[in-house]
Amino acid sequence: MAGKVVITGMGIVSSLGYDLETFWKNLAGGKSGVKKISLFDASSCATRIAAEVPQEFEEFSRTLVKKRAAGQMTRVSRMCLVAAKQAVTLSGLDFEKEDKTRCAVIMGVVNTGNSSVEKDTSPQNTVFKSMTNSMPAWISLEYQLLGPNFAINTACASSAYAIAIGMQMIKNNMMDIVIAGGADSIINPEEINGFNALYALSVANDPPEAASRPFTSTRDGFVIGEGAGVLILESEEHALKRNAPVHCELAGYALTSEGYNIMAPMKDGAGMAATIEKAIENSGVAKSEVGYINAHGTSTELNDRYETMAIKRVFGEQAYHIPVSSSKSMIGHTIGAAGAIEGIITILSLKNNILTPTINYTDPDPDLDLDYVPNVSRNKEIEVALSNSFGFGGHNATLVFRKYHGN
Amino acid sequence: MAKITENTRIEVREIVLTFFAEECEADKSQINDNTSIIKDLDGDSLMFLELIEIFKKKYNLDIELKTIGKYAVKHPVETIGQLIEMQMLIIEHENRLLELEK
Repeated sequence: MAGKVVITGMGIVSSLGYDLETFWKNLAGGKSGVKKISLFDASSCATRIAAEVPQEFEEFSRTLVKKRAAGQMTRVSRMCLVAAKQAVTLSGLDFEKEDKTRCAVIMGVVNTGNSSVEKDTSPQNTVFKSMTNSMPAWISLEYQLLGPNFAINTACASSAYAIAIGMQMIKNNMMDIVIAGGADSIINPEEINGFNALYALSVANDPPEAASRPFTSTRDGFVIGEGAGVLILESEEHALKRNAPVHCELAGYALTSEGYNIMAPMKDGAGMAATIEKAIENSGVAKSEVGYINAHGTSTELNDRYETMAIKRVFGEQAYHIPVSSSKSMIGHTIGAAGAIEGIITILSLKNNILTPTINYTDPDPDLDLDYVPNVSRNKEIEVALSNSFGFGGHNATLVFRKYHGN
Repeated sequence: MAKITENTRIEVREIVLTFFAEECEADKSQINDNTSIIKDLDGDSLMFLELIEIFKKKYNLDIELKTIGKYAVKHPVETIGQLIEMQMLIIEHENRLLELEK
């Protein structure tokens, strides 16, 4: 087994910005990206709000994505490629100097966003826009990489799975570099009506920015977000050899299935707890080192209850002293991209010693009694942080990040 | 068998150059017969198919894609000049394109 796996680059496209700096500033400032839906006329939908990527992104993406390729991509695929290019730039990688057979791309993809809101689809680009493997393929094509490129679909845990599998490929010495992440948007009438039929979405449309309120007594479902998050995973040895910027260590992970229900998490968070427990064990960190948890925190009745119970089950009394926050209170649930975007938030928290808040935390649920970093961000020095992702179908993932102090 | 005039040739050339300039975000004045579609313009094989569709509509051509495919396998197109010549042959011979092989 190879040594440590480190993160040397990150890129993001979200409702709160499409560059890391803007995104972090807004997030640490407790800003909400949730607004009335503008991508289509949602007036007949029970849910009429979402955290959309700003429309200006389209113009910005033209500076990074060639016109010909852009026409063959969905809006979501363009988000993915832009995030990947940002991550590669930040990492300082020059693939012409790399062994391209040892560079892989793994993306968490639930769908490509080729829905009724997608524009300018011609017969010639329909297939390319629909291919769920297109996102990793476009990234691989951009840099002419020769290692494997593929997509993983484990619902809301997809991009966390991508990161975990990427880490394992480096650990097993199969790859030097893995570009891992995901992109998603389900802001379209078909998906919204479908999730509304499952009572999964918030219908607290007014005001939009107050709709996503994880861990409160008034939470009524998740708010849809969209975007992309991409990370550069690298073996420590390789990163140091090329003097790469190291943002943190990816210390470990756990991937589990609940074998329980297509939608609901296992009762009392038993499956979630098993995942967190295994991730800690896999990473070799002590529970006492865990200083922050970026929760899945969807703002649904069951997730927030069970995730809270899971954290208590794993950490016991210590759970009350670990800050737990939900980024979804600000950027909504980005589905297939959530694991990567929230992984990046967790890394930035470690780097900057700032914990981002759970906003809209105005009516605490008396049954949920952890420290949810209410409403405002907090300065805190942390060494180890977890990021949870739990998906429909019982796909669970926990990633463990550790501050990097050099080798 | 359509008769190719000088005007047809000028028209085809103009369509091809405009198409590649727009799709590949290239300077039209810099594209010439020797320009490589893949190496110089970063183009792709799908562009060839899209152009065929454009010419099929414009000149009401009776030609099947498989006929063009069979011909193209033996006469690969790499440059803009070769592509224009092939489009001229397609317009002129349509489904009888393969008879040129005999």
